[in-house]
Amino acid sequence: MDGAASELNKLDGALGDGDLGVTLSQGFRHLQDDAPNLPDDVGMALLQCAQAFTRVTASTYGTLLATGMMAAAKATRGQNAVPWTEIPQLLGAALKSMSDRGKGQLGDKTVLDALNAVRLATEGLDEPAAQVKAAIQAVDQTMADFRGHPFRRGRARIFGDKGLELDDPGMVALKRIIQSLI
Amino acid sequence: MALRLTLERDQSMKKILNRTEDYVLEMLEGLCSAHPAYFKRRGAEGRVLVRPEAPIAGKVGIVTGGGSGHLPVFTGYLGPGLLDACAVGEVFASPGVELMAEAIRAANGGAGVLRLYGNYGGDVMNFDMAGETVEFEDIRTTTVLVADDVASAGPAEREKRRGVAGMVYCFKIAGAKAATMASLEDVTAVAQKAADNCHTVGVALTPCTVPAAGRPTFTIGETEMEIGMGIHGEPGVRRGPLRTADEITGEMLKMLLADMPLKSGDRVSVLVNSLGATPLEELYICYRYVACELAAKGVDIIAPLIGRYATSMEMTGMSLTFCKLDTELEALLLAPCDCPFLRC
Repeated sequence: MDGAASELNKLDGALGDGDLGVTLSQGFRHLQDDAPNLPDDVGMALLQCAQAFTRVTASTYGTLLATGMMAAAKATRGQNAVPWTEIPQLLGAALKSMSDRGKGQLGDKTVLDALNAVRLATEGLDEPAAQVKAAIQAVDQTMADFRGHPFRRGRARIFGDKGLELDDPGMVALKRIIQSLI
Repeated sequence: MALRLTLERDQSMKKILNRTEDYVLEMLEGLCSAHPAYFKRRGAEGRVLVRPEAPIAGKVGIVTGGGSGHLPVFTGYLGPGLLDACAVGEVFASPGVELMAEAIRAANGGAGVLRLYGNYGGDVMNFDMAGETVEFEDIRTTTVLVADDVASAGPAEREKRRGVAGMVYCFKIAGAKAATMASLEDVTAVAQKAADNCHTVGVALTPCTVPAAGRPTFTIGETEMEIGMGIHGEPGVRRGPLRTADEITGEMLKMLLADMPLKSGDRVSVLVNSLGATPLEELYICYRYVACELAAKGVDIIAPLIGRYATSMEMTGMSLTFCKLDTELEALLLAPCDCPFLRC
């Protein structure tokens, strides 16, 4: 994510306050530091992951990621292992809580649209490499689908027609996050 | 939030401070040093203030939080019969999730924790997340948002209103209830009733300056005032020429009574609050008008508060709050309390 940081800052700078790359870089670095000591309870581990982002300077995207992770944490509390087939369900829980918290809706041209596509694309897959591949394709497809559509949420909204051909930095960030899982 | 470079202090900012980056931390240091019986520091960089007696076993904890720049709100109201812990943000900025979670933990005496704070988007998001975080530690939390600023939204959208000076009444009433060792449900219910019964409107004459910004939060003409302005300089409902004290107070009174009509025999507490720079003398001039008007209506005023209770640094202006009382609320309002800024 360090490599992606300046790309994301630039994209975000064009449409918002330019802190997306820094937020993610810092958050994932905390995660990396914490990784060796994460608890066996998947729910508690996901909670710590969420906290890696709440520790980063207040940013909407960071808070949304933390919110999504917290929802997944609640759903997996007390389990030491979770089957890969549960990923779409967990993504659904994350999606709902992120939408509730940020008041975003599907169709607004945000990370929620991309995440929903990932959720659908990973249905029925039970192996991580296949899920990651399907997920990346889903995010790419979502970005392509939304080119020509206006931003309907957040600061990018004020750009009106100028925003039509631009990709949502939040979607690009999601793609980079998933790519770093390979 | 964009990365900030450390700039040379803007010489046009006529405030008494050292480095702007140290404004809040130095304030906390001074506050705790002056009142060690009331404040202990916790959390990252000591940005959580906690009553030394907290947590009190079996008592519902009450926490608050929000941006600095409003003293005595928020953190000033920690003490017996009041609040237990407070997460402190940078000037006019929300404290983060972690600080709020730390405040909740510090206030938790095993009977649950009420999060009682002003209705501002960032604070709501962060306090909600803090509650979810501590859920994993089996700490039960509830929320009551103070949304008393009648100028910020109409009666049909009351839940969108900003939280302003009415917070002081809610802190007092909820704190008194918690001190009786009432349950989380009961403390929450009475806090909500207090919040629902508080109505406030403000008027601003001159702006304040956030240290990190280095210049005033808004501009206003030399002979102008803005009715309904928020405590961070949020736009009000009407900007116009500065009127007399009685005209201003009369207009504000009308706005409050439109929202919450009062009839003969009703009992209210009244808070005439300086936003920072307006002196006591002027607050008393306004109070005199309110007292007269309410007496004419046959409304009794109980335990009025006149002074600096919820400020916006050096903003000139005042806010007027009515807290309508029933038997329960009145008893709680008059119960003993103790903090450096309010004693009953």
